[in-house]
Amino acid sequence: MFWMLKILVALAVLLAGLATSGPDPRPGLAEARAYPTPSPGCGASGEPKAAAPTLDLESLERRLRETKAIGFFTKLSLKNQVDDLVGRFRRFHDGIRGVTLEELRERYNLLLLKVLSLLQKDDPKLSQDIAASREAIWDLLADPDKFRTLSKEAKS
Amino acid sequence: MIRVFSLAVAVLATALAVAPAGSAEDAAVKKDLTAVIALNGMPCGEVVSFERRGENDYVATCQDGNRYRIYVNPEGRVVVEKR
Repeated sequence: MFWMLKILVALAVLLAGLATSGPDPRPGLAEARAYPTPSPGCGASGEPKAAAPTLDLESLERRLRETKAIGFFTKLSLKNQVDDLVGRFRRFHDGIRGVTLEELRERYNLLLLKVLSLLQKDDPKLSQDIAASREAIWDLLADPDKFRTLSKEAKS
Repeated sequence: MIRVFSLAVAVLATALAVAPAGSAEDAAVKKDLTAVIALNGMPCGEVVSFERRGENDYVATCQDGNRYRIYVNPEGRVVVEKR
């Protein structure tokens, strides 16, 4: 369970850190890892499964901050959009009407697509690594308990 | 005469060294402005020129003739404003 907490903290750092620059060493995140869930159908027929790729979120955060593929305005604008999306998730988990999980998934996919398209030409490795974490991050945002823990960690 | 020639060579070398750095910076700004305009769903194509109005405040001219002011507002949000 402790590894899950670490992932949540790392995600909060990742989302909040998009537009900031320079390294921001945070003790306790060194071993933070996300384990992306396999895509539906993978290995379902009894084939030997390939090892699930692991993602070092601390490293991902640092690479997003430092990548030259995205400029200042673009990073800040992406952060604005991430903040807006997290706000929508907050309203959804608070039970406010008018926000559906389907709509959130659509917005999440669109935002991720924007990030990937911005990175794929000049930082393809980072783009691939973020794409690999797509389902793991969605799981953290969509699950009410995990999201609340994430919000608490982000505030403290 | 040799001193004048040396001076001319030095000036030329400095100019050649500085110009690419400046144009590389301009290219990076254009790329950033192009990306942020697209990210905010505005038509542009590509930014062909820009004017710096202040810190984090630019007016960009697009390939398709559109012009936008791009700046960071006091709330820390990037604003793309059609001119």
